[in-house]
Amino acid sequence: MGTTRSALIAALVASAAMLVRPPGLLAAGRWGADYFPNVALTTQDGKVVRFYDDLLKGKAVAVNLVYTRCTASCPLETAKLAQVQRLLGDRVGKDIHFYSISIDPAHDTPAVLKAYAEKFHAGPGWLFLTGNEDDINLVSKKLGSSSLTDLASRDGHQPSLMIGNEPTGEWMRNSAVDNPRFLATTMTNFFGNPKRGGPLKSYAEAPAMPEVGSGGYLFRSRCSACHSVGSGPAVGPDLAGVTARRDRAWLVQYVSEPDRLLDEKDPIAVDLFARYRNVRMPNLRLSPEEVAALLHYIEEKSRSPVSFRNAAMP
Amino acid sequence: MYLKGNFSKARLREAANARCNRTEIVKALSQGQISRRDLIRMGLMSAAGTLVLTNGLSVFGKSAYGSIPTGAPPSPMFDVQPFSTPMPRFDVFKRNKVDVLDPAPTAESNQTQRLLNPALPGVTAGQTGPVEGRPPGPIWAHQDFTLRPPKVAIIASQATAQSNGGIYDPGVLSDFNCRIDSTAAIDLKFHPGLPTQNPANVWTFNGTIPPKLVIGRYGEPILFRHFNNLPCDPKENAGFGRHTISTHEHNGHHGAENDGFTGAFFFPGQFYDYHWPIVLAGFRSINKDATDRMASSPNDSGGLDNVPGDWHETMSTHWFHDHMFSFTSQNVYKGNAAMFNIYSGLDRGNEAVADGVNLRLPSGTAKSFGNLEYDVNLMLADKAFDRDGQLMFDIFDFDGFLGDIMTVNLIFKPFFEVERRKYRFRILNASVSRFFKLALSDASPIIQIANDGNLLPNPVILTELDEQGIAERYDIVIDFSRYAVGSKVWMVNLAEHEDGKAPSGDLSIAEALSGKSSDPCVGKILEFRIVRDPPTPDVSQVLPVLIPNPDLSKIPVARTRTFEFGRGGTQTTNDPVTSFFGPWGVKTNGGDMLNADFGRVSAAPGKDTREIWTLRNGGGGWDHPIHIHFEEGRILSRDGSARNVPAWEKGRKDVYRLRPGGELTITMQFRDWGGMFMEHCHNTVHEDNAMLIRWELDDRGEPFMRPLPTPIPTPQGVTFVAPDDILRGAL
Repeated sequence: MGTTRSALIAALVASAAMLVRPPGLLAAGRWGADYFPNVALTTQDGKVVRFYDDLLKGKAVAVNLVYTRCTASCPLETAKLAQVQRLLGDRVGKDIHFYSISIDPAHDTPAVLKAYAEKFHAGPGWLFLTGNEDDINLVSKKLGSSSLTDLASRDGHQPSLMIGNEPTGEWMRNSAVDNPRFLATTMTNFFGNPKRGGPLKSYAEAPAMPEVGSGGYLFRSRCSACHSVGSGPAVGPDLAGVTARRDRAWLVQYVSEPDRLLDEKDPIAVDLFARYRNVRMPNLRLSPEEVAALLHYIEEKSRSPVSFRNAAMP
Repeated sequence: MYLKGNFSKARLREAANARCNRTEIVKALSQGQISRRDLIRMGLMSAAGTLVLTNGLSVFGKSAYGSIPTGAPPSPMFDVQPFSTPMPRFDVFKRNKVDVLDPAPTAESNQTQRLLNPALPGVTAGQTGPVEGRPPGPIWAHQDFTLRPPKVAIIASQATAQSNGGIYDPGVLSDFNCRIDSTAAIDLKFHPGLPTQNPANVWTFNGTIPPKLVIGRYGEPILFRHFNNLPCDPKENAGFGRHTISTHEHNGHHGAENDGFTGAFFFPGQFYDYHWPIVLAGFRSINKDATDRMASSPNDSGGLDNVPGDWHETMSTHWFHDHMFSFTSQNVYKGNAAMFNIYSGLDRGNEAVADGVNLRLPSGTAKSFGNLEYDVNLMLADKAFDRDGQLMFDIFDFDGFLGDIMTVNLIFKPFFEVERRKYRFRILNASVSRFFKLALSDASPIIQIANDGNLLPNPVILTELDEQGIAERYDIVIDFSRYAVGSKVWMVNLAEHEDGKAPSGDLSIAEALSGKSSDPCVGKILEFRIVRDPPTPDVSQVLPVLIPNPDLSKIPVARTRTFEFGRGGTQTTNDPVTSFFGPWGVKTNGGDMLNADFGRVSAAPGKDTREIWTLRNGGGGWDHPIHIHFEEGRILSRDGSARNVPAWEKGRKDVYRLRPGGELTITMQFRDWGGMFMEHCHNTVHEDNAMLIRWELDDRGEPFMRPLPTPIPTPQGVTFVAPDDILRGAL
């Protein structure tokens, strides 16, 4: 008994000591194999990969956390990253790797993730990953992408995009819903661009920017990843003329709480959901003033002749 | 202090396991199966006998990797004892003549090309880039450069840790610096008994310690030429810190091109010329002819030179630090932090000059201005070491990083020798996430004279200071004449942390001294040794009126706005030095986005108007020290009432602690300089577009807003994001 107990205590103390003494806090290579868990994750194509060995080691990466049932910012994150991917072109998958890891792995099977990736026109080189919930929580903690305050709710998860250069051990946190061009430029500079050539456009030549009203700003930052006004449908419908076609009260309600209308089986919401490949319009928690400014902008923009050219019935 | 039911199952399971582990260890201890010594050696128990709050042991310890220091085992101390080595005074930067600068400074950025080092990422052999990292062109030209040409040049470099080679100007004789021989080499160590820091682990101004101090005065513009001598290879950073930097002179009333804009960073091999004109706010509209003696600068012959502006806006204690986009906290922690004493007719740093203007605060008498004998800069910062004793940082801890090694002026718990007389201390909180709450060990009174570098309308006598957030500066006066020669008294920290979000509690002085806190930075942090009587009588004063606030009653309020920080899905980060959250990306009252409505903003802060802002903490248990650039503001109310504004917050400020769940209302004016009135913070969760706003003055001196593209620095030159980049939704 005494021996057993001693062994138990010894093991216990040893394990407790290990908990407070994570291995590998070396001066060099601190954020390497000893830091990141090498847990198994599954891609949208059903391939099992190791988080450190296969996804991080020796690579430049951009990682965010999403889940497909998300009614908050995830769809916008994904749509924005799809734009970033297009801006970076064929570098993605070759020397920059995109990973979107599901924090709802029980629901987000590889098949669900594959359909989700296709809806947002995610290109090759961008992996959508699922796995064991505890493993994903660990990955998320290690990336600094979750904190005690938001573990309680998935919807509280931060729309962060961790950009990391594993060989140099440098990581920076960005907003996954930032301006895609800014994100693409930031990544290009952060990772270095051996292919860059030719003279750069000097800031001395930078012009002042046109005045942009709040509606235009909102559209640009919150809507344009999925919608256009007059350039045709994308992830979501073309919004040219939408203020004339739809009942105003309905439109205000839909822009404010698309998730609620869909859950309540509003017929138009259900129809839009079906027509646009079951992509959930995110609830971006816009205030009534913001919604009004946005609709005003769309109305004004729709008046320009080009806007109706490709407009489909949303 | 309890875990609510809405935490994830994994978190609760972890807590349950922690409780079991803890119970088992306590049981094992009580049954003699393991000894206290074992536990202390394993870092599981503090010397005072309490089990440390580490993950796996504390039910309340932060989830996974939650401990102090965050994410790491306790720092090894190599048997170093507290209060066994002196605290060095700051190292004063040499004030050079401007003509020593080669190349000479220019109004627009110096775009002379030079060959780039191919070790820089993104650079190929044979490529060239500009010598100066400041963005080129008229937008970033120094404003008023011909009107206010620099008179003093300070040359600094950001460099890797090295010995100072015996080059050290404490600004005082060694008797006033604990008899430290300033000609002896000082290695970069946090204590003589701790290891010398590797070049990759500590990056300070000039690569050396003690920390640096700039001496400046009103009306004497400084050209601060900052060289970046950090390694070209980003890997040479020991796991934290970025080799590109942007230097923010914390609340300097300067043009935006000198503000250390987070996106205007520069690369190894480049310099950046910061032009600090050192003017009183309001200089374009108040006392323009400089006829008021109260608005003045000390000259070298004991007299005053008048300067334009409002003397009620006189500032005294600044600091400057890196403001690099996304890397501020790492770089500041790594050593990019220095202080800046600004002298004026009112606060001239000479306690003997009796000219009816000088407040004669404790300082000294030898020089016409800027005496440091009895005016001491203190930089407080918590650090953590890896097992080799090298500085370490957890770059993935976005809840806020805490260290377990308390340093003052970058030395672990030092002592400081004082005379039996009054001293002024300019205290800077240069931590990453830690709040301090300071008191003297005998609970004797401290006189607070300034907050954020602004002398208060009236001094405040306290036995405990308020909590002091990151980047806040408190100037205090301690009268050591009440102590006998040979006695000691300690500066004590009362604010206890369990994580980086906010202090978990403020202890009483007795509790803090008891040693029972699990937080190693609570308790005594600095020892004062009273070593002698003053050689000459103390003629310094703390007058009942210092600097009254400007009269705003006749200045119309152009606009009120409400900002809410950290709520719901848009939880703000707590990268505290970076949390200059300001107005950007934060919802305003009724939901209209300030940053969204350029048209309206441009009409709002008109000439000679002011605004009233309400800053609200949206919850989540965080405290947010919010720093707003441009001008000093004034707190009008806390939690809805002016009565809640304590006496020590009744002056001007530039950092505002909201306190968890708290709200405060401030007023500020917008004038004098064109500048980045705000920027869309690209930082993490602030969901904003790359773009910035510059506040400019038109030909008639009227202010207006001009949206500009964000600069994108590269070693080859600064580029920009085209303004017409609204990406089409079409695929």
